[in-house]
Amino acid sequence: RVAVRVRPLSKRETKEGGRIIVEVDGKVAKIRNLKVDSRPDGFGDSREKVMAFGFDYCYWSVNPEDPQYASQDVVFQDLGMEVLSGVAKGYNICLFAYGQTGSGKTYTMLGPPASVGLTPRICEGLFIREKDCASLPSSCRIKVSFLEIYNERVRDLLKQSGQKKPYTLRVREHPEMGPYVQGLSQHVVTNYKQVIQLLEEGIANRITAATHVHEASSRSHAIFTIHYTQAILENNLPSEMASKINLVDLAGSERADPSYCKDRITEGANINKSLVTLGIVISTLAQNSQVFSSCQSLNSSVSNGGDSGILSSPSGTSSGGAPSRRQSYIPYRDSVLTWLLKDS
Amino acid sequence: MCGRNVPRAVSKVSQSRRKAGVPTANIEESQAVEAAMANVPWAEVCEKFQAALTLSRVELQKNPEKEPYKSKYSARALLEEVKALLGPAPEDEDERPEAEDGPGAGDHALGLPAEVVEPEGPVAQRAVRLAVIEFHLGVNHIDTEELSAGEEHLVKCLRLLRRYRLSHDCISLYIQAQNNLGILWSEREEIETAQAYLESSEALYTQYMKEVGCPPLDPTERFLPEEEKLTEQERSKRFEKVYTHNLYYLAQVYQHLEMFEKAAHYCHSTLKRQLEHNAYHPIEWAINAATLSQFYINKLCFMEARHCLSAANVIFGQTGKISATEDTPEAEGEVPELYHQRKGEIARCWIKYCLTLMQNAQLSMQDNIGELDLDKQSELRALRKKELDEEESIRKKAVQFGTGELCDAISAVEEKVSYLRPLDFEEARELFLLGQHYVFEAKEFFQIDGYVTDHIEVVQDHSALFKVLAFFETDMERRCKMHKRRIAMLEPLTVDLNPQYYLLVNRQIQFEIAHAYYDMMDLKVAIADRLRDPDSHIVKKINNLNKSALKYYQLFLDSLRDPNKVFPEHIGEDVLRPAMLAKFRVARLYGKIITADPKKELENLATSLEHYKFIVDYCEKHPEAAQEIEVELELSKEMVSLLPTKMERFRTKMALT
Repeated sequence: RVAVRVRPLSKRETKEGGRIIVEVDGKVAKIRNLKVDSRPDGFGDSREKVMAFGFDYCYWSVNPEDPQYASQDVVFQDLGMEVLSGVAKGYNICLFAYGQTGSGKTYTMLGPPASVGLTPRICEGLFIREKDCASLPSSCRIKVSFLEIYNERVRDLLKQSGQKKPYTLRVREHPEMGPYVQGLSQHVVTNYKQVIQLLEEGIANRITAATHVHEASSRSHAIFTIHYTQAILENNLPSEMASKINLVDLAGSERADPSYCKDRITEGANINKSLVTLGIVISTLAQNSQVFSSCQSLNSSVSNGGDSGILSSPSGTSSGGAPSRRQSYIPYRDSVLTWLLKDS
Repeated sequence: MCGRNVPRAVSKVSQSRRKAGVPTANIEESQAVEAAMANVPWAEVCEKFQAALTLSRVELQKNPEKEPYKSKYSARALLEEVKALLGPAPEDEDERPEAEDGPGAGDHALGLPAEVVEPEGPVAQRAVRLAVIEFHLGVNHIDTEELSAGEEHLVKCLRLLRRYRLSHDCISLYIQAQNNLGILWSEREEIETAQAYLESSEALYTQYMKEVGCPPLDPTERFLPEEEKLTEQERSKRFEKVYTHNLYYLAQVYQHLEMFEKAAHYCHSTLKRQLEHNAYHPIEWAINAATLSQFYINKLCFMEARHCLSAANVIFGQTGKISATEDTPEAEGEVPELYHQRKGEIARCWIKYCLTLMQNAQLSMQDNIGELDLDKQSELRALRKKELDEEESIRKKAVQFGTGELCDAISAVEEKVSYLRPLDFEEARELFLLGQHYVFEAKEFFQIDGYVTDHIEVVQDHSALFKVLAFFETDMERRCKMHKRRIAMLEPLTVDLNPQYYLLVNRQIQFEIAHAYYDMMDLKVAIADRLRDPDSHIVKKINNLNKSALKYYQLFLDSLRDPNKVFPEHIGEDVLRPAMLAKFRVARLYGKIITADPKKELENLATSLEHYKFIVDYCEKHPEAAQEIEVELELSKEMVSLLPTKMERFRTKMALT
């Protein structure tokens, strides 16, 4: 699901005479392009272009007086409640906030004390639920962890350490536990207040760390994870159901220093300037050249007809031919972020 | 000979055709220009320029958070000052219409110059100096995301230099300006325009190297005092770096244009040049070469793949063992880890090479039931001689890494590995052993605790190596043993893995184990058929294998059930074919249980029929499923019509006895 939220103009933007060029109409967000094409032989003209984009949810949060105004509560009712219902069923959920620095991600995810955002509301929702299922002894257990990813390094934001230097953690995969961050502290919480306290602590750690290393905090991602374990009855036998909620605050998505090479394959046709990205380009080539792109599907290990297991031809034209196993191996280039959230 | 420019001096005539660049403008203008030049405070100009460059290089992170481009704006101001100090741009003597500035104006603007024109005389010199400033202003505006302004400056730069673009003084700057325009247009998603600029640069470089050749002036030198001018060696290094980037940008353009072979070729060339100019980190280079080999593997170009992999090995070997430094505790364990990780990754690339080559051979030699077809084999044997004859000519066309010692080292690795499809067991075994060697190497890093998914993929590859080797093995008992090895390495994995996190992988393994048992059973049956009196021992074995296969197919099918253990009404697309196949094989397996007890036999036939029926019914309800398993559906329909009769006959026979 993808939702878009429009914030009000900032003081600076109002001062500079900025205009709102976004419009929300149901599930469509429209943007007006005011730029006059400056090319002398330009194909464009001075007509304003409107581009429309469809989303699952569009939130207009520009003016609280507006009847259309989408408050923190509105956003929570749609997105937050979905998270809670999913978690109750044992699913793992991941919630991403994506946008430029200053676009309001933190407001939506966290919010000021006067009007809290998604994260506190979701936590509150979990605790309310726990109270409801208090009929069963020790029915729910909630643990939280908070980590930060900067430059492929993972840091525990809730670690009690006297160390000044950031201490990086390793990300590993365990056969029993799945992907996890080795050494990440998990804190049991029993009420809403504790959660807020830990959140604030983690955020404070983020900021101080940023000033230490002279980097803008807008370049690190933070993941706040809620581990929710419920006691359930399965075939009349007591059992546990564990789910995770990952609340991800992605770094400012604006393009920074061009000499700072992007570690991801760029969408669109941008050319990467630095040779450091040669590896990414080659990886993309190799990946695209794979005969069957369904590398993760089960089909890739299944061979086609006949009594003995044979491989179908690469052209896949044999009758009922199933794709054969992936032919090549692309060395790991993905960012830590996607890998960590693989199980969501 | 490339002498440095001296205003008004008549240059020595060299091999190439050169014309004195003194414009035919009137004397008054050049006198005025000379006068203006005399007034230029040269020292101030240079100082400001260097300061601007320094500011341009300031990392954006070093700027205040709300003003990331502050240093860029300051640099820009300085550059504008320099521009003002240099005076106005010289008029174009031959007035050309503006339209010709753009690449879209036809080949003329980006076409190759007919001759080398050196920028001589004060007017030309000023043009060149202004061009440098325009270039830096252009890049500056691009860095601050002002593409239109950036374009303007860069185009101006090109215009100022056009006459002299093939000259020793100007070519590097010209190419760099074009390259930056290429990048700019790519950001506007006009990839063909980018391509035009970049290809023009490429052609220009080639022409320059052919007709002039000596290392050209580096643009940064223009505002440096005499003593700080660069050596020929340094100039060459920088110029070659520009060209390497040119090739790299073209590789990306071709990729976006989906001209993948060309893109790969250019990536290959980029890698080659990195080696030639000693501008690489061994680990990084090696993993890039290994990754490129995977592209070639996917295209079934095994010679090129082998070359890349061999080079990867050699270059990777150039890294000494890196020991962790003591003063960076967080880095401790990290750098060596990368070394081991890359080693494991390169090993995995090799595994895929061996596996794909063997599988490719199997594909071209198998008959319609997947067994070795002797006719096809002899056909390919006959073809072999031709392949070997062509080898040299193919090798010449391919991009080769390195010269001299490096070339020899790479060849030494290549010689141990075949790039031709194996045609018999002996040849297959060679590849198998190499693949297995790399399996062990890969597992050193990709251990199950820490890298579950990767570890399992390596084991699956190992199993696949055995499977494809079995294809070449003629002795059935030995084939059985190979499948047994596969099962032995796969079974432990299903025990350890948490099904919640590794659902897909679990299913893959279960399916593969089931199929291995299935194949083993078929082999034992074939062996038994050959014996004069199959004893109870072998019958027991066959039934046990049957049971095991059933167990794993059942496990797999059970994994599709929902939390309430109900088998889905509608099977998801991604598991549809395997699910159907599993049902089919279960049906077949039940039909193959050997028992003397007629009641049991009847039961088995009934179960078998039930499963065949399921397939037929499901495909009727879901036509998309029918497409997935055409062959099996046909057979299932047959069995559904045949089995009841058979069962009836059985019942009759039982009633009689």
